[in-house]
Amino acid sequence: MTVLRSTLQRRYKSMQAQESRLAWALIAPTAIIVFSIVIFPAIFSIWVSFHDVGLHNLNDVFHAPFVGWENYQKVFSDFAFKFQPGQSWGAAVTSIVYSFAGTILTLVVGLIAALLLNRPFKGRGLTRAIFLFPYVAPVVSIAFVWRWILDPRPSGVMNNILMNLGVIDLPMAYLSQRGLALILVIIFEAWRYFPFAMLMILARLQAVDSTLYEAAEVDGANTWQKFWNITIPELRYVLGAIFLLRLMWTFNKFDDIFLLTGGGFGTKVLPVLTYEFSFRLFDFGRGAATAMILLAILVVFIAFYIGIVMRNAEE
Amino acid sequence: MEKKNFIGHLASWLNWQRFTFSLTLIFFLTGILFPFYWMVSSSFKSKAEIGGREPVYIPSELRLDAYKELFDPNNESFQNFGQNILNTFQVAVPTTIIAVILAVLGAYAIARLRFKGKEALLNSILMIYLFPGVLLIIPLFAMLAQVADKLGFNVQDNLAVLIFTYLAQTLPVALYMLTNYFRTIPDEIEQAGLIDGCSRFEVIWRITLPLAIPALVSVGIYTFMIAWNEFLYALVFLNSPDMFTMPIKINTIFNDPTPRPHVVMAASTIMTIPIVTLFLAMERFLTEGLTAGGVKG
Repeated sequence: MTVLRSTLQRRYKSMQAQESRLAWALIAPTAIIVFSIVIFPAIFSIWVSFHDVGLHNLNDVFHAPFVGWENYQKVFSDFAFKFQPGQSWGAAVTSIVYSFAGTILTLVVGLIAALLLNRPFKGRGLTRAIFLFPYVAPVVSIAFVWRWILDPRPSGVMNNILMNLGVIDLPMAYLSQRGLALILVIIFEAWRYFPFAMLMILARLQAVDSTLYEAAEVDGANTWQKFWNITIPELRYVLGAIFLLRLMWTFNKFDDIFLLTGGGFGTKVLPVLTYEFSFRLFDFGRGAATAMILLAILVVFIAFYIGIVMRNAEE
Repeated sequence: MEKKNFIGHLASWLNWQRFTFSLTLIFFLTGILFPFYWMVSSSFKSKAEIGGREPVYIPSELRLDAYKELFDPNNESFQNFGQNILNTFQVAVPTTIIAVILAVLGAYAIARLRFKGKEALLNSILMIYLFPGVLLIIPLFAMLAQVADKLGFNVQDNLAVLIFTYLAQTLPVALYMLTNYFRTIPDEIEQAGLIDGCSRFEVIWRITLPLAIPALVSVGIYTFMIAWNEFLYALVFLNSPDMFTMPIKINTIFNDPTPRPHVVMAASTIMTIPIVTLFLAMERFLTEGLTAGGVKG
């Protein structure tokens, strides 16, 4: 009996070992690629941020001279980075304002869109598909269409419409005005990414127990009261999750602002600054240092995400 | 019986709630569709229409001026856009194939097999998803320049290098989405196959994959879209206009000293239409993937 059990155990163990070997064999190619083009570069980028790396020594990166915190000091004292009240917010503050405002607006627009699509009407399927267009279409095309709509010449559509309505007297250069440019990239963010929030909210809305609403109706609640006392509490977690996820993605965003304003006129965010240091000035050390500052702020967001969202998901 | 005309019908149908609902819906639809209309219609305008004092809301006829500039070699400012479309396909198709194959193997292992460090592996791959692309581009550029120097190939203007770097962006998504899908396929089906004497690979090939076709299609489309739309890495790694993918070419035309918005819009239309059509045709499979982060936005 004991002999049988031990053979079975041994066989089970060897099966497990075999399974584990197979698993590693299957996952090895992905793991190797992910390690060599994500994890190693990420660590290497910390190294770069403490060294003087430029085009001149790119062929011999690993012997680049160590410069300590110099790259970081250069970034902190850079005009584009520094917060100077009254003149410029600097990249770090602009980034934070842009991501928070953009994310909140995305959530609000996504919530409205989800509520619209949550009630049955003719052509709802098609409408939902159309609502996803901004999210699915290539960012390059979308950004340039908006630039063309906001064209500063009087022949620009936005100028033409607003001038005909009497809102403005003279054509405006929307994307090259401090303040307005930042507001517009935030609106663009909401325009483009609300469908993501909408889909997540819609999925959650359809899972809300309808008896809750029926009970509220019996108690004489109006639409607004039902919204505040049932819908919003039911959506709390999903709204929190979308908020943090979008916040992190927006914070990392490079394409949108680079294409819309090139990072000018008070819209220079950290990713754009990183790009400029690295691929305009070809000072990779300084670029890496900027990316590290970006990462440090991002880690705070990630910590919140793990602490709040993942814990709630487990409950 | 009371007879009602159109206004009467409208008045009795309309109440405050319906009114706000319709108004908001119209606002959304206009806001979304107008830019797309503007893109397509601008692409069919002539140079005179595009540069006039007033915007032309409806082009007088479908003029192909812009498209000729993109494709007609005899045009004075010929852009050779066909080459750029080809380049985009040459990058997007291999990226999709490699990412899907590798992700199927990896996702299967994570979803089905027991091994140590599984959760840690999955979580670390997910973390990549939150990683900024600008952070990785610097070390990647420096590393690949070094490797290329040793092995004697070019980092810049090399589509293979671009495909390699795109795997960093597509593999995590593909792996995550496929793992979730494999977990929904009941284990019993595979167990039955194993008991019948199939090997693991036969089980994957004959049972799991056919069941996972919808997921494979949607993951394939997503990775294709990521590679098709990618801007930053292509901007850094491509230098000569003949090697540009579409996004970089459009950026170049836009930044040309003589502004030609109709050409930019024509190129944008060409880049957008296939993606939107693909999405509409496959919407049933794709919507779920969007919430799983299929488009990293």
